[in-house]
Amino acid sequence: MPPKAAQETDKQSKSSPSTHVLIEDMRKTFDDGSIVACQDINLSINEDEFVVFVGPSGCGKTTTLRCIAGLEIPDSGHVEIQGREVTHLKPKDRDVAFVFQDITLFPHMTVRQNIQFGLDMKTSLSGSEKEEKVREVAQMLGIEELLDRQPSALSGGQQQRVSLGRAMVMDPSAFLLDEPFSALDANLRDRMRIEVKKLQQKLNKSMIFVTHDQEEAMTLGDKIVVMNDGRIQQIGSPYEIYNEPANHFVAQFIGSPSTNLMPCTLEAGRDGISISSGFFELELPPDLADQINGYEGRVDLGVRPEHLELGEDGIFEADIQVVEPHGSRDAVYLTAGDRELVAVVDAGVIPQDRDTIQVDMDIDKIWLFKESGERLL
Amino acid sequence: MTHNTVKASDYAFTLLRYLTLFGLLGTILIPLAFVISVSFRPPEEFFTSGVYLIPKNPSLEAWEQALRFLVEPLKNSLLIASGTTIVSMLIAVPGAYVFGRKEFPGKDIIYYALFVSLLFPHILLIAPITDIWFEIKLYNTVIGMWLALQVFVIPFMIYILRDYFEKLPQNLEEAAQIYGCTEFTAFVRVVLPIAMPAVVAVAFLAFLIGWNEFLFANMLTSGQGPRPAIVELFLLTQGTSGNVYWGRLMAITLVLGTPPTVLYLFARSYLGQAFNIT
Ligand SMILES: Nc1ncnc2c1ncn2[C@@H]1O[C@H](COP(=O)(O)OP(=O)(O)OP(=O)(O)O)[C@@H](O)[C@H]1O
Ligand SMILES: [Mg+2]
Repeated sequence: MPPKAAQETDKQSKSSPSTHVLIEDMRKTFDDGSIVACQDINLSINEDEFVVFVGPSGCGKTTTLRCIAGLEIPDSGHVEIQGREVTHLKPKDRDVAFVFQDITLFPHMTVRQNIQFGLDMKTSLSGSEKEEKVREVAQMLGIEELLDRQPSALSGGQQQRVSLGRAMVMDPSAFLLDEPFSALDANLRDRMRIEVKKLQQKLNKSMIFVTHDQEEAMTLGDKIVVMNDGRIQQIGSPYEIYNEPANHFVAQFIGSPSTNLMPCTLEAGRDGISISSGFFELELPPDLADQINGYEGRVDLGVRPEHLELGEDGIFEADIQVVEPHGSRDAVYLTAGDRELVAVVDAGVIPQDRDTIQVDMDIDKIWLFKESGERLL
Repeated sequence: MTHNTVKASDYAFTLLRYLTLFGLLGTILIPLAFVISVSFRPPEEFFTSGVYLIPKNPSLEAWEQALRFLVEPLKNSLLIASGTTIVSMLIAVPGAYVFGRKEFPGKDIIYYALFVSLLFPHILLIAPITDIWFEIKLYNTVIGMWLALQVFVIPFMIYILRDYFEKLPQNLEEAAQIYGCTEFTAFVRVVLPIAMPAVVAVAFLAFLIGWNEFLFANMLTSGQGPRPAIVELFLLTQGTSGNVYWGRLMAITLVLGTPPTVLYLFARSYLGQAFNIT
């Protein structure tokens, strides 16, 4: 490592020794600042960590990734890779690999030449050393017998495998994958996803994987970065993201079927704090009431479908609209007042001909969100 | 009943197709056959009555004269055409690439200005260019011809090539940059090889224009300068002194057509690829 880079690392109090990729206060706009693609991006990624960026279309995932790769230069903030400031470096000087959403093999080269391209451009290895590396990677990806074909003679899945090979052969310090499998059919996508996860574990390299599919994100990531509107909404393990959403957006975006959200009012009454919607009322037990610090007014109550209990007693009655089988579980679509709700229960416990049912919820399992979207409880 | 009519119209259609084909072929091949025939006739046979294809007294005289006459003009044509091609490629290929794949202020306006320039007759430019060329001593020089022809060769090439570059996959250069290229080497190592068919195709067209262009060549060169063969050919038809020697004229025409034809045979497979990229 050059001494200059080492000094810079020392100055960086925020980067612990294991930090591999560090992004600080990054912001990127387009069209003279009229489009803010991402802002206030702060993120640190450890070596060997599998990070997934997830969020709806247009939320800035690709832009953030492209800033890490050097395909875009951020307006402000900075990016470090392995303790080295790279914010303004060319992509080729950053030691990262990028797999694009659309297939971008070089059509005039064979698969072998495609995989070898980076080695040809960046290293001074001998012909036989390169060949050996290409062979190794091809073996790992199971594409040895395709090496002498042209990219146009490959299926979409095979082409993306070659793209991965082109990245792997460089042994980069980070892999950046932008929705690499979104063009593949669902079955193949599932298989490729498992393969990528296995590869990452074998290579032990940090990998950033972008997707707009929250289920894909939950199954892949060690660390999930939920984005919306150009900002990071929450960073956490799949477990944290699912069970402790930081705000309204994360609660709603993660999980399928989606979290039930009901507008309610928070009122301090004679004997404690109560939450009331149009059709039910709940008392907050004292320990929870303490946590909200006397907040009053409009809130959104959120509860996961599996935490709605359907049965003979409850706090309100709901009409059953549809019971939708999902294998071992049923999703039950309900209406109460003018609200639509969904509950998930074990398959078959709700009789098909039943019209109404009592709904209960465990007060420990609910979340409250302020009108700003921030989590209150 | 209906079955029969369908069949009849089928035959009619096939017949019509072949008639059209042979008609087209005829309009091209029959005159060509006569051009070849006349070039092998002695002068006495040019105006004899009766239509026949095989010369009665075949002679190589016309060819000998044509070749002797053409040595200098052909050299000029070759110099002008290949120089025009090289100069235009150096400018139009990178230019078209930038128009097709990069963003810069005023891009659309400049592009449409280039395009509109193609719509006006070039004769418009003859007077000013001749004037300026006189001033800056480019009149009657090969370099003068190279530069003058760029006025319409470059917009034309950019027009064709830009589309080709534009249609290449979105992140091609970016992928190259990730794996070790600069913007420049990405263009040279990745984009240019992929665009090769189109580049060869426009090079061929540039050569063809440089070879056959008459208007500028006629105005910007004189008998003392690098006058290309096409102008010499035209001057011969003007027949300043007595009868036009038709045999020699035909032989010259055939010789003039040969280099583009040979080039076409080499560029043929590229031309095919260039105009149906997926
Ligand atoms: N080159 C560009 N010029 C102008 N605006 C851009 C450019 N690239 C991205 N944007 C805008 O920035 C915002 C973020 O885009 P980005 O591509 O990062 O989203 P994304 O999260 O990757 O979405 P998707 O899931 O659709 O790929 C969008 O509003 C987009 O229109
Ligand atoms: Mg994207």
